[in-house]
Formats: sequence, structure tokens, C-alpha cells
Amino acid sequence: MANTACFMIVSKNDIPIYEAEVGTVPKKEDAAHQHQFILHAALDIVQDMAWTTSAMFLKAIDRFNDLVVSVYIKVIHTRLMLLHDSRNDDGIKSFFQEVHELYIKTLLNPLYLPGSRITSSHFDTKVRALARKYM
Amino acid sequence: MIRPPRWQKVYSKLEVDFSSKKRERCCKLDINAPDANFWDDLETKIMECIRNTLDRRIQFYEEEIRKLSEQRFMPVWNFCNFFILKESLAFMFEIAHLHEDALREYDELELCYLETGKQREFGGVEQGDDQATLLEPARKPLTQIVHDDSFREFEFRQYLFACQAKSMLPFCMREVWVITACLALIDATASHYKDGLAAPDVEKEFYRVQGEIYTLCRTKFMRLGYLIGYGSDIERSPVNSASLSMLPWPKPAVWPSLPSNASSEVLAKEKMILQDSPRPKHFGIQRKPLPLEPSVLLREANRRRASLSAGNMSELFDGRPNANDSSGPLSPLPKVNSVSMSRTFSSPGNFEGSIDRPMRLAEIYVAAEHALRNTISDVKLCESLSSIEEFEQKYLDLSKGAANNYHRSWWKRHGVVLDGEIAAVYHKHENYDFAANLYEKVCALYAGEGWENLLAEVLPNLAECQKIQNDQAGYLSSCVRLLSLDKGLFLTKERQAFQSEVVRLAHSEMEHPVPLDVSSLITFSGNQGPLLELCDGDPGTLSVTLWSEFPDDITLESLSLTLTATNNTDEGVKAIKSTEAIVLRPGRNIITLPLPPQKPGSYVLGVLTGQIGQLRFRSHSFSKGGPADSDDFLSYEKPTRPILKVANPRSLVDLAAAVSSALLMNESQWVGIIVRPLNYSLKGAVLHIDAGPGLRIEERHHFEIEKHEVGTQNMTNLDNPPENLSPVSTGVKQLTLEDGKIKLPDWTSNITSVLWIPLRAVSDGLAKGTPAGFKCLRLLRRTIAVHFTDPFHVSIRVADKCNDGTLLLQFLKDAGTFRYEYKTDRLSIKVILQSQVKASLAIYDAWLDLQDGFAHAGKGDGRPASSFFPLIVSPKSKAGILFSIYLAEAPAKDEAKELQPVSILNIKYTICGSRNLGAHTPVAEELSGPDNDKAEHLTFRSELVLQRPVLDPCLAVGFLSLPSSGLRVGQLVTMTWRVERLKALEEKVASDNLDEVLYEVNINPENWMIAGRKRGYVSLSTKQGSRIEISILCLPLVAGYVRPPQLGLPNVDEANISCNPPGPHLVCVLPPPLSSSYCVPA
Repeated sequence: MANTACFMIVSKNDIPIYEAEVGTVPKKEDAAHQHQFILHAALDIVQDMAWTTSAMFLKAIDRFNDLVVSVYIKVIHTRLMLLHDSRNDDGIKSFFQEVHELYIKTLLNPLYLPGSRITSSHFDTKVRALARKYM
Repeated sequence: MIRPPRWQKVYSKLEVDFSSKKRERCCKLDINAPDANFWDDLETKIMECIRNTLDRRIQFYEEEIRKLSEQRFMPVWNFCNFFILKESLAFMFEIAHLHEDALREYDELELCYLETGKQREFGGVEQGDDQATLLEPARKPLTQIVHDDSFREFEFRQYLFACQAKSMLPFCMREVWVITACLALIDATASHYKDGLAAPDVEKEFYRVQGEIYTLCRTKFMRLGYLIGYGSDIERSPVNSASLSMLPWPKPAVWPSLPSNASSEVLAKEKMILQDSPRPKHFGIQRKPLPLEPSVLLREANRRRASLSAGNMSELFDGRPNANDSSGPLSPLPKVNSVSMSRTFSSPGNFEGSIDRPMRLAEIYVAAEHALRNTISDVKLCESLSSIEEFEQKYLDLSKGAANNYHRSWWKRHGVVLDGEIAAVYHKHENYDFAANLYEKVCALYAGEGWENLLAEVLPNLAECQKIQNDQAGYLSSCVRLLSLDKGLFLTKERQAFQSEVVRLAHSEMEHPVPLDVSSLITFSGNQGPLLELCDGDPGTLSVTLWSEFPDDITLESLSLTLTATNNTDEGVKAIKSTEAIVLRPGRNIITLPLPPQKPGSYVLGVLTGQIGQLRFRSHSFSKGGPADSDDFLSYEKPTRPILKVANPRSLVDLAAAVSSALLMNESQWVGIIVRPLNYSLKGAVLHIDAGPGLRIEERHHFEIEKHEVGTQNMTNLDNPPENLSPVSTGVKQLTLEDGKIKLPDWTSNITSVLWIPLRAVSDGLAKGTPAGFKCLRLLRRTIAVHFTDPFHVSIRVADKCNDGTLLLQFLKDAGTFRYEYKTDRLSIKVILQSQVKASLAIYDAWLDLQDGFAHAGKGDGRPASSFFPLIVSPKSKAGILFSIYLAEAPAKDEAKELQPVSILNIKYTICGSRNLGAHTPVAEELSGPDNDKAEHLTFRSELVLQRPVLDPCLAVGFLSLPSSGLRVGQLVTMTWRVERLKALEEKVASDNLDEVLYEVNINPENWMIAGRKRGYVSLSTKQGSRIEISILCLPLVAGYVRPPQLGLPNVDEANISCNPPGPHLVCVLPPPLSSSYCVPA
């Protein structure tokens, strides 16, 4: 499992709607800002890359010292972003795919307003379980 | 307790075993009385041991190598074995920080390789070899490759070069190289591109690369700056923290040590460190500063020093500049120098300095600065690092360069983030105008994309700049934005500080007051549950839920909410206001607003506006349960749930007469009005009563009101004495009329009640009704018909036979008017009284005041023939009273006394009835005493007109009987009348004694057809007893009972005609006979 892994779902308007530190290293207070910052900056790159490829899974599009950003772009331009230090590309891809399914299930919830923050604890638990499984 | 001899003995034994003559390897520790020098002693001995071991080991290796190198030209010689030995030895030297020895070994290894090595392939064929990091020894597992004897020339030389370089590279070479290379690259490419034209995407890409190079350069530059003590000038922002804290420290073989003559510089640096106190953030925000170091520099620098006794980190940290003298616990081992491993000539100068104790931070800075001065050859770079001002300038230049280039590329976020760094520098130098502008860009980016954590870092800085610049509007909005950020991002104390700033500004005199948008802080919604429904024109109270995100109570001086009609857009919006100040608690508040009357329709909430102090604010958001502070939602719409519904106009109350049956005329009666609220509260309602013409309200009496019970009427049996009904039992309340108005008591507001009004119909005629107006802030006009009547309907018939036995013919023309034909001496009049009221009437007395020309028979007191009073008349039943009279002579005309034209029937009676049913005992006069029994008896007077009898009929018309075969449709029949003169016509004396009598036959033309003259004259002798017959041929047209033709004599007064025998009222006409023409029997 990855030591550091910060997972984030960014809506099509670039708003983070879900955020979780899923690494094994306990989250440091100051690290949250860094991870957010790195992922936010990576949006620039995702934006560039999204037009050049049709692939949904963009692995390691940004590198920040030891940390790598991988992104999974969905059809509605919602982005699943992962900041990680592991090199397990296949695992990360599977993780993205499963989270994608989860997200779609959330979207189907009539009480969920698309584009709003995902506050479901069930979703959170599942994402963390998937992170343990694949990374 | 061990006795001295015994432990001495044990220790001696140990010494014998481990110590030799040359080397003292034992030392003793007395736990009870520790020797101050024990630890020094122990350390010295351990170091000596290690050194000896190393010496031995090296001797062994050197011996081996010597043997191998002697054989190196022999055929069996294997380079591989030699390499392993030589490389291991060099590595051992390296570990011991004996770099010159290590270097010498590497050199010898290379020499030997050149002498003996067979020709190998050059290599560099593997992936990444083209861009090999020449200085990285561990790039390939060379030892393994050598074992396999498969290495190539390139790999060997790269490894060797890296190893040699590692031992020789100056401090921070890598960083300096990157910086200078980047700057050179930037200059070169920029000048190359200066006038170049390129496709837009290429151009964007170019600028992006430029930005990247600038950023890399900037990061390395910051690292150098940090190493020489300018860290306090580097903003601890997320971007800097992310760049630096994940970038490993430079890994020099040996951390540079402090030059001997640098004590003044150290002092200066220490002073600088002391003076450096983190700038307090605005609003008293306290955060753990973000790190700029991957690990603590103090530890890193000291760890990489040559011979420092490793471990003991507490010593390192205690060695912070605060403990600024060299006494104390940090001054160990003055004699360590002698112990240091100066094995050969190899010490590269590092070992001589003050390696006796850990370096302090200031010393590390100074040492790094000196080392860098040696490393850097670029004069400009040297200058940039020479003073803090120069450093800042260069830092700003690099940041600007990076930001500008990013702005020209697609990577806007990178550019904006670097703008924030530039702003931080301006901010520090109190150039607030520039700083605020740049900060606003950053805040706009983060806020627009909703990255609140990052926004929370920058926004307080922006607020501070705005405050200092006296940009009140901007400052206010920043405070509001700070308040509306996620609660977890700030402490309650800090949020309270934001709020107090807002309140302070709101209550101060603002130069340019601006309406403040607090949509994110104050949200509102209608209350849960059913919406407020009002009737047209009613005021009401609207209850609204307000959610306050303020951390503390906040006072709103005024508050108003707009209501928007959903069905009618023309109306615009109506504002409802709260006049008094409202204190909002954090969280949910329920406020009520007075609602003036609205037009019919349904309404939704619009905008909330109000004032905090002198500051106007507005809020557009509706609490929806989710975060409503951004317009991001795909399906974000105004709430359609109406909060208020005003119904179309309808009647709110029903007024009806309580009693449909008639009341007593000319007596004061209770008129009941049923007041029935129609799903509406009549609180505060006022009833206006305006009695109609002929009606008078008995104002001396109280009005009464009681609950209306539907069952009352059914329960009340008519036979029940009304006394049994206790009207007070249902809670009768008395009311007083004031100016024609009655205030209804509150308890009647939701129930159907009956208002009893004492009323008297004063006219003889029929009363028309009582208009009652209802006023309950709005007028309802209602006219209520009330029926008044006399207690009795009087009819009269002459009931007695004449003396001569002839039946009197009589017919009633009008109530009380009758006539009879034959003169008679005495007759009985039957007065039939029909009760007109739903009450039981008791007649106590009755007498007839006769008109002139009639006189009472019998006693002559006008009383009925037989006395059987009291006579009880049940509701709607009849009673008869017989009077006996006879005709009297008409009084002389000249008598002075006026003629009495009509007879009057007087009846004294009482009435027992319930006002719930109809007529009842009149409302008791207050004035009448209880002893006056007579007063209870009511008097009813009715006029009777008696006509004197017709004494002299002059003509008689007789209808002669019809044929016995009966009448049939279509069959002609002859109707015959006989006209007989009963009395000789005296007035008119004609010559021939004949009088022309006009006749007329009246028929219904639908039923009859007449053949012959309908109207004409016949001659009749004027003599008494003369007769004539008039025949008319008639044809019945319809079958059934029809009225036969009538013969009238228009010229003769009807009173003078006697009908004898009278004609039938109806005759039977049979249908026409069946036609049997075609039904001839055989």
C-alpha cells in the first residue's frame, strides 16, 4: 500500500467535491495543504492532456519530487485525481475504475445534487476500502 | 552490597581477559558514585577500538590487494576479484569519511583497469544511458555486473567517475549548477525566440517551458537561500512548502564546517535569527507554519559531519541559538582532536575545525555561506546571495518570471499561484496596493474553483491589505468570505474575530457604504410544515427560518423579505419588514414578520435584505440543506415551494336567521342571527346592525349571544313547555349595542353562535328584514329576512241558519269581509283563528267590537256565545269562536258620532314558545312590574268588515239544466239561461215597458266555441216576474272537467243579481265518440 495517497474528485467546474487521504502514513496537518496544492496545480496539466488523448486513465501526468499525480477523466469531465508515491499503475487504474462505479451510483441517488460535495459516509468507507485493496 | 575485594576481583579478571598492554579496553562504571569522566573515557575507548578494527581491516585488504596486483600480469589473474577488493576498500574509506584515501583507491582501480583490462565494448546502449546522471554511482548495480564480468566500458567509467566526483564535489554544486544552467537557458531561449513567430500552441508551450525552468530555478534558489539563513524571508506558503519540503537536502560527502575566522558572521546570523519572529497574521490567526525543510537542517547538517559522535539528538536540539554560549552541556571533549581518525594525510581540512560539538544553526548558515562562495563562480548569483535584500530581489524576479510565463501559457493556475508569492513579497514590504491586487487574483482562482483549504491560506492576507488600505468594502467582503468558508478551517476564536470586524465596520461611519452580500452566511427558508394560508385582505404573521453561519449572536437592526407572487409576475415583489431589531443566534432561528394584506395568489420568498448597524445587506440564498453558496449546481433553481397562499375572495362568515318561522308582530321579539364562521376566525369581529324599515331595535335590552347547537331544534318538542328549555344552559352571554355595533366575544371566533337581538316590528305590514353588516376588518353586508306576523289568521263564516231556514249563501272575499244575501234578523258568525306561529297560544278573552249597523245578540258584551276560555291553540292549528249578532238599524246620518266602518276582533292571549323555534313571549319590559299580571296578556286586534246584506236583488239568472246525455267533444249543445226580473224596475219608465238588458257570455276560447251572438241585448219587461230565456249554441272543444260558459249581465250591478239556480262550476265533457265507420260487424 502506498505511503502517501491523496485522492480527490474534482467536479467539472474544478471544484473539489470529495477528498480523502488514503495513504498509510498518518496525515500531517501541513501536508493537507501541500497535497491540495499539488493536485490543484495538476489541474493545469490535466487540462492540457485531456485534449490530446482519448484515454480515461492518465498515469503519472505530473511529478512532484517523489509524488506522482494520476488522473482518471470521466465523460462528464469529472476528474478523479490521485496523488501517490506508489508505482502500482494497474492497481491505481483498478482503483479508479471501481471508484468511478461508486461515483456513478452516487449520481443516481435522487437526493444527491450533481456537483455538490459528496458527504456520504458510505461512499467514504468504500473508497478507503478500495484504496486498501488496490494500493 | 558487593564488597570491594569481590567486584575488584571480577573486574581484574575481565581486564586480564580483554585488555592488553597496548590497549586499555576496560573501564568501570560505579552506579553509586559515577565518575564524571566515565563517559568520555568510554567513548574514547570505543573510538579507539573502531579505529583499530579499521586499521586491521585495511591492513588485511591492502595485503590482499598487494598480492593481487603483483600477479596482475599473470594469465590467471582476474580483474573481477581485484575490483571487488579495491572497491570495498575505497568504500570503507568513504564510510570513515577518509575521502582522499578513497579517491586514491579509485584512482588506482582505474589505473589497474587501464593496464590490465581487456578491450570491452563501450556500452551506453541501455535505456537512459544517453541522459545518464554521471554523478550517480548507484545508477546501475555495478558490483553485480562485475561479478558476472558483463560490464561495459561506459558503465565502469561512469561509476568510477561518479565515485570520484562524489568525493570531490563542492557543496551544493548541483543546486548552483541548476540555477546557472536554468538562467542561461532562459536567456538563450528568450533571445532566440525574441522575434520568432510560432503557432499559438507552440508559443503557449514555449512559455510553459520557460515557466517551468523559472520555477525550477526559483526552487533551487530558495533552497540555497534557506541554507544560508534567508529562510525567514521565504513565505511559508503551500507552493513554497510543497517545493522545498519534498526536495531532499543536498547530500555533500561532508557538510561544510565553520571557518575559523567567522565568529563575527556567526554572531550576525544569530542576531538575525533572534530578530526573526514570524509576522503575526491578521485576525490573530495562529497556524503551525508550513515546513520549508524536508528534515530538520540542524540534524541533517550535523549528521553529515565527519566524526561527530552520532546520535544524541537532544544535544543537537538543545544547541539551538538560545543556548548561545559554549559552556553548558554542549562543551564536551576538549581532547577529542587527538582521537580523530587522522589515519593518513587524507583529512580534507574538515577534521581540524570545531568538530568537537554539534554546529549551531547560525554556524551552519555561515558554513554554508562560505562553502557556497567557493562553489559559485557566477558573480551575479554570488551577489544575489550576498545580502537578504539582494536575495529578495532575485527571488522576486524569478517569481515574476515564472508567473509571467505561466500566464502566457495555458497553465493559468501555476501563474496565479506564483502571483500569490509575489504578493507576499509586496505585502511584506508594505506595498499593499500591489499585494491586494495580486492576492485578489489568487483568491478569485481558489474561490471560483472552491478549493477552500488553499483559499483559507490567502484570504486573511488579502483582508489585511484591504484593511490597511482602508478599502472598507473589500475588507468587509473578505471578512464575509472568511466567515463563509468551511467552519473547520478556522478556530471559533478566529471566526469571532472576523465577525467582530464586520460588526465594527457596520457600525462605523463608512465613506461609501455598499450593500453587502451575505448569501453564504444568512440563508432563509419557509418553515417546515404546511404553508401559511390567508384569506384575501387579511394580515397575518409569516414565520421564516433563518440560518446564521455567524459564530456569535448578531443583531440585525432591520430585516425585510420580499415575497414574489408565483402566478402573477406583473405584481412585482412586495417586501415585508420587521421593524424591531432581531438577534440571530448561530444556527437556526425562527423569526416572525408581520404580514400586511396581500393579493390573492401564492408567494415564494425572494430576497432577504436588512441592516447590520448602518450596513445594508442582502441574501439570495435559500437553505436547501446542501451548500448553497456557489452557483455550481447543475439544477440550481429557486425554491418553488410557496410559503404563503392568499385565497381568492370568499365569504368568511355566514349570517342567517336562526328562525324561519314567523315572529310576533308588534311585540318585542328575539331575532336570532346565526353567525357561522366559514373556516375562518372571527377574532375581533364587529357586527353592525341596522334594523330595516319598520323595525326597531329594543336598545334598552342587552343582546344575547350563545353557542349555536344544531340539535336544539330537533330536541325541542313542540309540546314541551318552553320553561323546560333553559336558554342559559348553553352559556348565554349578554352584549351591549354601542353605536349600532356589537363586538363579538373571542370565544365565538371559531364556533357557530347565535346572536339574539331584541326587535320589534312596529308597522302593521309585513316586516322586510334586518340588514346586518359584518365588519371584521373587511365588510360583509348581509340582509337577513325576518318574518313577522300576527298570531292568528282570522277568517269568518256565517255559521248559523236563518230563521226562515234558508241557507245563507256567503263567500269570503277578503279576510273578515263577507256578505249574505237575505235579510235576516239574527246570525252567528264563526270566527276561525288559525295560529300563524310555531308556539302555543292561549286565548284568555275575545270580544268583538261591531261596526255600525250590527249589534250583538245575547248579553251584548261582545263576548262569544259560550265562554270556554282559556282556549289553547296549538301551533298551526285552528280554533273557532262563535259570535251571535243581528242587524241593527243604521244610525242616523246626521249623528255627530263618526261612523265606525269596521268591526274589530279583540283577543287577549299569551304565547308560549321558544325563540329557537319562532314566536315566543315578548322580551320582558324592564319597566313592568312583576305584579302586573295583565301585562303578560297580549292583545291582538283584527279588523273585520261586515257588509250589510243585499236586500233587493232585481234580477235572477238561472242556469237551465243540460241534456242528460252529457256533453261530448264535437257535439253541439245548447246552453240556456233564464233571466227573471224579481222586482219591477221603477227608476226607468220606458214607453213600451221594455228594458234592454245587455248580456254577455264568457267562455274560455280554448275549451268552447260559440255559435251565435256572444254579446247582445234582450228585451225584458219591466214588470216583476217577467222572464226571458237566452240560449247559445256551444261546442265543447276538449274533454274533461271544464268551466261552462257563464252568462253575465254587464250593465247590472252584481249585487243586484241573484243566481238561482246557480250554474255549475264545472261540467264534464266526454271525449268524442269512436269512429266505427270501418268496423262494420259481419
